Amino acid sequence: MRILGRSWVFGRNVNTDLIFPKTWFRAAYEPGEMASHLMSGIDEGFAARVRPGDIIVADANFGCGSSREEAAAAMREAGIGAVVAPSFGRLFTRNCINMGVPVVTCPDIHLRVSEGDTLEIDLEAGTLRNRDSSFAATIPQIAAEALALIRDGGLRPYTRRLLEERRRQRDGTGDVA
Amino acid sequence: MPAIDKDTEQVRKLKIYEIWVHTAERHSGPATENEPDMHAITKILARHAGRKSADIGELLNVVPDYVMLTDRGAARAAAILAEMGGDRVHDPDRVVVVFDHHFPAIRVRDAESQRATRAWIEEQGITRFHPGEGIGHVIFPEKGYAFPGALIFGTDSHTVTNGALGCFSTGLGHTDVGSFLAIGYNWLRVPEAIRFDLHGRLRPGVTAKDIVLHILQQHGEDGANYCTVEFAGPAIAGLCMDERLVLCNMVVDFGAKAGYIQPDEVTARYLEGRVDRALWQVETTDSDADYTGIIDIDLSRIEPLVAVPHNLSVVRPAADLGAVRINEAVLGTCTGGRIEDFRIAGSILKGRSLAPGVRMMVNPGSRAVMHQAIAEGWIDILMAAGASIGVTGCGPCSGCHQGMLGSGEAAITTSSRNFQGRMGSPEAGIYIASPATVAASAVAGRIVSPI
Repeated sequence: MRILGRSWVFGRNVNTDLIFPKTWFRAAYEPGEMASHLMSGIDEGFAARVRPGDIIVADANFGCGSSREEAAAAMREAGIGAVVAPSFGRLFTRNCINMGVPVVTCPDIHLRVSEGDTLEIDLEAGTLRNRDSSFAATIPQIAAEALALIRDGGLRPYTRRLLEERRRQRDGTGDVA
Repeated sequence: MPAIDKDTEQVRKLKIYEIWVHTAERHSGPATENEPDMHAITKILARHAGRKSADIGELLNVVPDYVMLTDRGAARAAAILAEMGGDRVHDPDRVVVVFDHHFPAIRVRDAESQRATRAWIEEQGITRFHPGEGIGHVIFPEKGYAFPGALIFGTDSHTVTNGALGCFSTGLGHTDVGSFLAIGYNWLRVPEAIRFDLHGRLRPGVTAKDIVLHILQQHGEDGANYCTVEFAGPAIAGLCMDERLVLCNMVVDFGAKAGYIQPDEVTARYLEGRVDRALWQVETTDSDADYTGIIDIDLSRIEPLVAVPHNLSVVRPAADLGAVRINEAVLGTCTGGRIEDFRIAGSILKGRSLAPGVRMMVNPGSRAVMHQAIAEGWIDILMAAGASIGVTGCGPCSGCHQGMLGSGEAAITTSSRNFQGRMGSPEAGIYIASPATVAASAVAGRIVSPI
């Protein structure tokens, strides 16, 4: 899975309250609604400027704090190509995988990228390159299963498939439990 | 408590769905005849995956004992379940729904959402439902949902609180929980463990909250990323369950996946009358189990501390912050709303008044805490001091209940997060401290040390 995108650079400990402020929580979301609030706790105009395929770069511990899935879901909806940081909040990492958003760990990345630089990431090869500088890095290989999940769009298609399989099995055996 | 044998058997047959990005330490060695040396948490996870053992870094499909859904979590997870084509909750007996964040509703949309969730709970046959009885993380131990050896998930990051009872407990996203509702299990990576060995005695006026703030100060907001944090050492025996719950509650705020305290006599006494003894399964860590780090903390050297806006790792001695005037003091939340917190804050506020211009919001963590705080006289004392007593629930911590901050205002609070805008205006400042520091500061009108 190759990702090529323009980068946006954020700081350290950017928590999920900032990525998706609680003000915008809803029980149900209209298409595009979550994306329209992406990063609004830290940069009001970001959602209007970001384009599908763009890459978010940050300092350590990006996405720490609250479990709110909207932080990852809004990225998916905005078409964020990848999120790259030296480390991430655990729940945000998990939510990104479940949403099909590539999370890439790369030490010092925030020092090696200026806003607007074009990054090239190859998840299978485990490489990252800044096209606007000489910076290139090896990134931790993502487990094949994780890549498959990300490529397939996350946990929802997986669950949907499993439910269908179970239904077929149940119908096949006539077991209605 | 539902039996899990049938389901774990089912899960064992499923292909383990391995997903993890940070795989550097992932176990790839040959299988050995001997079982590996395991942390108690690893044993809990293995058992809930229908396995005898597991390795750090391995991914398991686990069947939790209970999954806690908050009001918003329930609404979102139910919607996601439907979007994924699921019409029935796989195992309603494992689902516990609490209304704590937005209950009672102050906005029509929350009222509508809760109305829909009540109908969904009824339709799905979910019987463990606690609207308005308190914060999920406070009532889980109280009502016996958390016990040694249990595996608990919840739609909230502070679900880690339950680890104080010797179980594995962590937060999940709504899609994760929606997927659990549909298929009955979740993937989980077996985490590394970090241990904090506590020794020495806390000085009077210094509390478990100050221990956590000390850890944040020393190790930062990502000090324990992806790891289990175990609190051990000789000083643990001297901490009551409410104080232990504070320690585990905030492990997520320095990045941990779960907190853990080995069950002992304090645990046993707490659980008496709450959980059937036959349900516990106390796991112990093998003597050769690996820890990523073992860190000593001398409690006698810790002073009252405060995390200052807008970052939890910027922690300073309360005594150095005398220039900070406060507008609001908050006693409550899943971090600081238990009876011990009322005793600590109440004994400081007894016979005294809030400083002019200071308001104080009090939200008991649960109905049981409220009853006990009334019985012990703390509610009278707090009211006499000028505090406003609110509903049992999350309170102003994430701006859900009354007590929002205006621009330029400052609050000192027993809650856990000082993120910008969390309690109202982004131009307000949130100072995180112990119940003792909060109470002393409410009287002084500025931040002061309680000792």
